[in-house]
Amino acid sequence: MDILSDLTPLFFFLTIAGTFVGIIFGAIPGMTATMAVAVCLPLTYSLGLINGMALLLGLYVGGISGGLVPAILLNIPGTPSSITTTFDGYPMAQRGEGERALKLGIAASLFGGMFSLLILYLFAPALADFAIKFSYVEKFLIIFLALTVMAALSGNMLIGIFSGVLGMLISLIGAYDVSDGGNGEYRLMFPFMEYYLDSGFSLLPVLIGLFGLSAILIEAEQGVNEESGLSGMEISRSTPFRWSDFGGQFVNLFRSASIGTFVGLLPGVGGSAASVLSYSQAKTFSKTPDQFGKGNPSGVIASETANNGLTGGALIPLLSLGIPGDSTTAILIGAFTLQGIQVGPLFIGQNMETWNMMIIAMLVANIAMFVIMFYAIRNICKVVTVPKHLLFPVILMMCVVGSYTINYGIMFDVWTLLIFGLVGYLFHKIGLEVAPFIIGFILGPSAEVYFVKSLESYGNLTIFFTKSWIALVLWVLIAASIWLSVFVARKARV
Amino acid sequence: MLSLFDVTVNFDRSHLIFPILVSVVLAILGSVILVTRRTDIGAALAATPRWPAGTDKARLFGTVALTIIYFLAMERIGKAIPNRGFGFLFASMPFVLAISLLYMHGLPRRRVIIAVLNAVIAPLVVWFILSNLFNISLP
Repeated sequence: MDILSDLTPLFFFLTIAGTFVGIIFGAIPGMTATMAVAVCLPLTYSLGLINGMALLLGLYVGGISGGLVPAILLNIPGTPSSITTTFDGYPMAQRGEGERALKLGIAASLFGGMFSLLILYLFAPALADFAIKFSYVEKFLIIFLALTVMAALSGNMLIGIFSGVLGMLISLIGAYDVSDGGNGEYRLMFPFMEYYLDSGFSLLPVLIGLFGLSAILIEAEQGVNEESGLSGMEISRSTPFRWSDFGGQFVNLFRSASIGTFVGLLPGVGGSAASVLSYSQAKTFSKTPDQFGKGNPSGVIASETANNGLTGGALIPLLSLGIPGDSTTAILIGAFTLQGIQVGPLFIGQNMETWNMMIIAMLVANIAMFVIMFYAIRNICKVVTVPKHLLFPVILMMCVVGSYTINYGIMFDVWTLLIFGLVGYLFHKIGLEVAPFIIGFILGPSAEVYFVKSLESYGNLTIFFTKSWIALVLWVLIAASIWLSVFVARKARV
Repeated sequence: MLSLFDVTVNFDRSHLIFPILVSVVLAILGSVILVTRRTDIGAALAATPRWPAGTDKARLFGTVALTIIYFLAMERIGKAIPNRGFGFLFASMPFVLAISLLYMHGLPRRRVIIAVLNAVIAPLVVWFILSNLFNISLP
């Protein structure tokens, strides 16, 4: 009955509005789902957890989906996860099948989203139940595993792990928190900084700086293409879309959705990896691989199913272990913190109502995404032509609001936004990776507590190997991920 | 008997254990990157000009400078008229306009008028919704 009382018109409105705004963000190149969630986060302060989550999950689903529009019509991926959509979507649009490609992509996105939602619903509670048994030792090893997996799958293993460990180090700035059993002593800073950095850098200004401000700085450096480059979007419809286009695509859909969901599960690995992996698999298993890249509908389906498959997958480690699956779910941690709720193995059991409502919000968001994009695709093309010189200053302003309000009004958080906006820009220039940095930043304080408390409790380093069979399995997985990264690096060199 | 792997944690210095460990790992990784990529790094450092062709320095540094001025102004106004969100409101209006003009290519009258309207309406709407309807504290 609790669920029925939560299903208010406001809940549905926020989910659908979030999805719509997310689609717009996703469809504008340079703006991502992560940015949409970061910028709209302050709006959730007064909404409560369930309605706030409804808005943010709508933004997440919409933001991931919207990228296909410019990818197909202009050969410009709206989000990094739509890169492979351009390979076949744009050639289809060029030969007059724009509408067909868009609707194929939209329907494939719906399938990917629904598939991963089902996996999320079935798998996350089971994983959380299992993880409840973990002691500090296993929890530390899980974080260690997350870092090695992240490194193995990032563009460059060394850079990936360096970025992750750097994030971890930055997260340790401040006092060793007494509430976590620490001694309250400061480290990694000068005495004059103690007043500002008692609890270290706040997560949300860091995230908003890295994903909001830095994206605008990168655009500014490139001169800010005023019309978003989208004014020339026209939907060609010489070959109409038919549902029968999905005939013979069942294996492709299922495989791509599975790949997307699995990649989502892995921490720090984003939608672009999901769609690239899925696209290459679709090509490998195709009877006509030479048709890929020339406007093969299977390519659009593989790419779009996988990147939406990511959404449910990335929420699994977040809600069962407290480890975000990608950068957008990392921001969702901030939304939970804001409401005083800690995500981890106990979350689902202790917050059954919120968990169920999150599943419903994802379901509604996926359906809304499909309806909005399938039936109003022409209108979306018009909306995304809002000039960036009007859009960006407003986004900058919203970044400030989000940073300032997170701790109920601390000006230092606004400066943190600027510092990490510049850090994000610098990362972009020198080739460091933001996603592993953020995952390291989020997991750093927990890793410290688990590591130090394990040593305090057991007084022996071998405990990390001998504590339980789970610890041993985790070491096998850690070794496998390191082996994988070395294997991938060698293969790339050959 | 103490084994090689035994560790005694001194609580007073426990705040340094993990930062030192992470710093050492970071230093090792950094050294490996420097060694394996020394040619690329050397080439990048020696490159002239330092900024690649097509870099819009005016818009880049303009954004950073305007943002710093925006934050300073917001803080000052917020202190002068506290608790009403006026620091945010009155600093945001000129900032939004300045960034709009900075990013605009050419200054046609119609676009400037729209930018001015955007700069007045957008902060006002955000200020009204957050500060007045939701009672969220703004600078």
